[in-house]
Amino acid sequence: MIKKVVSVVLLALVIFACSSSDGGESKPKDNFDRQTMLVNWADNIIIPAYEDLDSKLGALVAAKNTFTVTANQTNLEALRIAWLDAYKVWQHVEMFNIGKAEVDYYSAYMNIYPASVTEIESNIANGGYDLALANNQDAAGFPALDYLLYGVAADDNAILAMYTTNANADGYKLYLSDVVNEMKSLTEAVLNDWTTSYRSTFVNSTANTTTSSTNKITNDFIYYFEKGLRANKFGIPAGIFSGGVLYPEKVEAYHNQEVSKILALEALHASQDFFNGKAYNGTSDGNSFDDYLDYLQTITDGEDLTALINNQMNAARSQIQTVDSNFSNQVNTDNTRMTLSYDELQKVVVLLKLDMVQAMNISVDYIDADGD
Amino acid sequence: MKKFLSMAAAAVVLFASCSDDDNESNNIENPATYTFTRNGESTVSFGGQTTRIAMATELVSALSVSTNTKEDLLAMFNHQLGEPDFTDVNLNTSDKNVRSKVAASADFFAANTTDAIAIKADFDSWISEQADNVFVNWNVSAGAGVAGNMQQLGSTTVRYFNAKGLELNQAVAKGLIGGLMADQMLNNYLSDAVLDAGANVTNNDSDVVEEGKSYTTMEHKWDEAYGYLYGAEENPASPVLDADRFLNTYLRQVNDDADFAGIADEVYQALKLGRAAIVAKNYTVRDAQVAVVRENISKVIAVRAVHYLQGAKSDLEAEGTVDYAHAFHELSEGFGFVYSLQFTRKPGTDVPYFTHEEVNAYVDALLNDNTNGFWDVTPETLDTISAEIAAAFGFTVEAAAN
Repeated sequence: MIKKVVSVVLLALVIFACSSSDGGESKPKDNFDRQTMLVNWADNIIIPAYEDLDSKLGALVAAKNTFTVTANQTNLEALRIAWLDAYKVWQHVEMFNIGKAEVDYYSAYMNIYPASVTEIESNIANGGYDLALANNQDAAGFPALDYLLYGVAADDNAILAMYTTNANADGYKLYLSDVVNEMKSLTEAVLNDWTTSYRSTFVNSTANTTTSSTNKITNDFIYYFEKGLRANKFGIPAGIFSGGVLYPEKVEAYHNQEVSKILALEALHASQDFFNGKAYNGTSDGNSFDDYLDYLQTITDGEDLTALINNQMNAARSQIQTVDSNFSNQVNTDNTRMTLSYDELQKVVVLLKLDMVQAMNISVDYIDADGD
Repeated sequence: MKKFLSMAAAAVVLFASCSDDDNESNNIENPATYTFTRNGESTVSFGGQTTRIAMATELVSALSVSTNTKEDLLAMFNHQLGEPDFTDVNLNTSDKNVRSKVAASADFFAANTTDAIAIKADFDSWISEQADNVFVNWNVSAGAGVAGNMQQLGSTTVRYFNAKGLELNQAVAKGLIGGLMADQMLNNYLSDAVLDAGANVTNNDSDVVEEGKSYTTMEHKWDEAYGYLYGAEENPASPVLDADRFLNTYLRQVNDDADFAGIADEVYQALKLGRAAIVAKNYTVRDAQVAVVRENISKVIAVRAVHYLQGAKSDLEAEGTVDYAHAFHELSEGFGFVYSLQFTRKPGTDVPYFTHEEVNAYVDALLNDNTNGFWDVTPETLDTISAEIAAAFGFTVEAAAN
């Protein structure tokens, strides 16, 4: 009996010695209830956001139908408002590249910008296009509508003329109609998948493997923050990835010229709400990254990552608020405000991509190309 | 009883093998020279660094050839694959360039693109001004407010200055020692963010090499740091120094000062032991060497900054005729090293010894606060800056000056 005890003690010593050589901390068991978090994400954030997008796109379809019957200033303005309403909600779903959205490359058909004016015009001139083709990703979605509603001619009268007196007015109307209908049908498909079958798959995938829901959504969230928000909305126009060569024409909603900042702030708002588990369009607050990190902090005595991340997101917001409502103008007049915004967002990326995933013991499933 | 003993023995063996990781270097095979192999094949590779040092060398030389155009010079700085910018055709066929790696470290600039852009713009403007203002005045005598040439007293050496007395090629060359070499080395390749990125630690622990390569990613990152210091050496495994006109040479110069003798070997030994520690998966020893390299490479920049500022000061205070050509040459070198201070790295911290803002204040004090820049700079200003730098690094102005 004593022998056994002694050997057990010795083995315990061995285990202690081994684990301490990893840097002095042994990892306590992570008993966080992932399922509650997945249920909160699905039921209070993801599905309600898709439902709202679907409904806003329904309104966009109706406004488009009215406009294609009577292309006048009033109906154009109503259509533009419907476009912006839907575009703002879009900022809440772009990050969820999972399930049918991932399979269908949904976001690529909804928001790749800048739109290709050449491809759009060529589609309209030639007809017979297939918007589901990969080649037409940059001739579809919100950016294509940005062009069709704001950029297709110099001013509103000239824009209306494209849909009324232009020799190919029917072609323009048809294309506008097809783009809107395609966005609606893609969104319906993704939403229906969530409400009929995918929700249950999602909330029951509670393990910690590379294909588990939490791991995938965590990667999606960080990837979106890094690429969709930080790089696409700020870094690319500001020349961060082109050795300082500026691309004012690559801002989101370039042709509109007024809303790139509104959309970016909406995207940051959506990201922060998701991080904190706040219900879409509601006030309730369920489990999300913030609670997970708080839990991990209590069992490891680590840093208050939730506070660090929220503070840094707030710092990014304050910086973005100093930027011109038209990012394109800002790039042309004083690009520093764009790069300062990018820098604050990058600090969030570091917290998410290094500190948060390390605390959650999740590996990042994508890597950046690095120089040499 | 036998069972107990054998279990105890096994446990002790296990204990010993586990605790190895905690003991300094007893499991590390530290080779005599920077030579590392896996299955008989060398695992050391830093071609990109050798290429960039060669590009920087051609650029700095080209800044002294007044027939070059601004476009020629800027193209050498920001080379694009296939463009015939260099005399060495191997450089022309490279997809690398100098500009993209200036102020580009993960630790200092990934979330500070605003300063990174401003720093790149400084280099662009020095290069542009050399063509715009200095080349066109190549045969004009320089004076306060006038760009042109000046000959050193008692020498055939002619130097070329802008209207403020700054030798722009020196600003570029010495600025690159910090902005390219030290920043990439200390704040990028030796940083945790790079060495331990992604699955680097797991892969290094299991000897998972990069596809088609003989080295792990962590080994390679370390070698790239090594390459920014020794990449121009004929035999980089056993460096002899004076192999380039950048960090490598100034490490030798500081080492030649009796007050800092031994610094070159200290850096080399730390880089070698750190690399050996990576092979042995001993990251505690690795990180200790990072601190040694950061401290000493930073010190090279600081010592040379003070050295040149003090050299200029004694020229300016000379009895009789002042050798402005020599004084401003030293001041220009000192200016470049002062500029490079923002890329140094205080060991154990995330910050340089002098921030971007502090360095900009020195730049203003030397060059911009007076109408005619160096022509108006006072010995007091040079002493103040020298003393602040020396104090931050813990050496004396006198030690660096002689």
